[in-house]
Amino acid sequence: MERDTIIQVRGLVKDFRPGFGLRKKRVLHGIDFEVKRGELFGFIGPNGAGKTTTMKILMGLISATQGDAHILGHDVRETAFREHIGFAPESPYFYDFLTGAEILDFYARLCAVPKARRRERVREVLSLVGLSHAADARLRTYSKGMLQRIGIAQAIVHDPSVVFLDEPMSGLDPVGRKEIRDLVVTLNADGKTIFMNTHILADVETICDRVAIIVHGRIAYQGELGGALPVGERKLDVTFSALAPELAEEAESRFEAQLSGRGERITLRVADKHLSELVQGALAHGAVLEEVAPVGIGLEALFLDAVSGKLRGGAQ
Amino acid sequence: MRWLGAVVAIASNTWRDAIRSKVLYVLLFFALLLIATSATLATLSYVERERILQDVSLGAIRFFGAAIAIFVGVGLVHREVDRRTIFTILSKPVERSAFIAGKYLGLVATLWALLAVMSLCFVAASLLAGAPLDAGHAIALGLVAVELAVVVAFSTLFSSFSTPFLAGCYSLGIYLVGHLTRDLYAIGKTSSSPAAREFTFWVKRALPDLEAFNRTLEAVHGLPIPAVEVGWSLAMGSAWIVGFLLVAVMTFERRDFR
Repeated sequence: MERDTIIQVRGLVKDFRPGFGLRKKRVLHGIDFEVKRGELFGFIGPNGAGKTTTMKILMGLISATQGDAHILGHDVRETAFREHIGFAPESPYFYDFLTGAEILDFYARLCAVPKARRRERVREVLSLVGLSHAADARLRTYSKGMLQRIGIAQAIVHDPSVVFLDEPMSGLDPVGRKEIRDLVVTLNADGKTIFMNTHILADVETICDRVAIIVHGRIAYQGELGGALPVGERKLDVTFSALAPELAEEAESRFEAQLSGRGERITLRVADKHLSELVQGALAHGAVLEEVAPVGIGLEALFLDAVSGKLRGGAQ
Repeated sequence: MRWLGAVVAIASNTWRDAIRSKVLYVLLFFALLLIATSATLATLSYVERERILQDVSLGAIRFFGAAIAIFVGVGLVHREVDRRTIFTILSKPVERSAFIAGKYLGLVATLWALLAVMSLCFVAASLLAGAPLDAGHAIALGLVAVELAVVVAFSTLFSSFSTPFLAGCYSLGIYLVGHLTRDLYAIGKTSSSPAAREFTFWVKRALPDLEAFNRTLEAVHGLPIPAVEVGWSLAMGSAWIVGFLLVAVMTFERRDFR
């Protein structure tokens, strides 16, 4: 395992038996991915794709059928290294008879945070997640957004270097989502590696460095948000001036291009494999090349391609 | 040291959770009510009033103690899984064995606190009725504490892999049969059927002999309780507790929390 690889998953397979006497069902089909130090990594996929199963294997809550997973160089089946990781589950539930400060103190005790440091650390974390005002309120009085924040607070109360978040923005209103998003960015800026399960693409697109897309228990794409398509299939916006309209229409049909712009400047969106032929032809007919710009690939398009099976593996 | 720290944290949290259980207070209320009523019942008799009071009171303590142990114990682990609080606990540097030990000790501490309340009530009722109190009563109550610890151990075991309803059925079954193993064995020995003899022999071996913790008769009638027998009961109780908890841990270690 490379020194800077924080999470390494190799050939992870998980079979579940849906019920007694029923045949096993495979939910993870040998997935591989890596997360590097300091990354804010988005693990995305449609419902039932295997996101939470993968997360639970990483957290030691369920065991893998085959394959292995390491965090910080430790097999995830070990226990002691978990003092360096934090986990906030989806829609967390806590002992609602405790207050915010009490629940954080409980989790800090589980992580063997020294008694002398605990009180101060609990206060720091409550302040970080914006719950200082509710420190002495019972959790049963907390709103969903506050519970989500206390969920993140318990994940970081022992100051771990890797934080796992399972659907942290799930079920929150736009204000709550932004607050959690800002908190995640703050944690990442503080040097923590973040692994985030989610299906809210807008949030991933806004804050994540890299993503892995899991579909039907297989990694369909892993890499940065741009550059998902192989060379030859990437789209380019090619803008000309003085391009004859009939020539533009011919290029539109010949290269399966999308034509836009009117008058002096005309833009054709084509696959990069047609660039050379298009430009040479246009210049030969007196057009002037104004600009060639790569078209950014939105995460939604990438995600839909992954779900529809157009992507397999992606940029590793 | 870290293991112990986690056990203490989980046990103290279990204590805080358990003392909030309404079932626990309802059963405690009835136990105290029965102890109080036994004083009245005893006045209806012309003979052995003090013994009736103590017999009924000790019976109430044992019965309601076991009922609380089973009612609360069978949901002990399942509730954590069902409410998904287990996700945040086991994702911390907490061994699963520490979780089971912490839950177990937390509930045992709760039950012993309730036993202390019921015992105080028993002592008060005995003093008011002028009934004698001696070391035999203390031993009888001490053995009830051990019995409750055994009952919590097998309730915890069933709770580690089963639903509260099924765990309740299993625990109640073991509790009832555990009090009958001596009688079953005695009946089996007199049976002409070798199969019946073999069966009752293995029932006695395979299940805890909970009657070994019942010293009500000796305490109430002022009979001596041999120290060897008390020691044997303590050793047997400890062995059953360790055995049940080891199986609970082994079962729990293999569980997936989906």
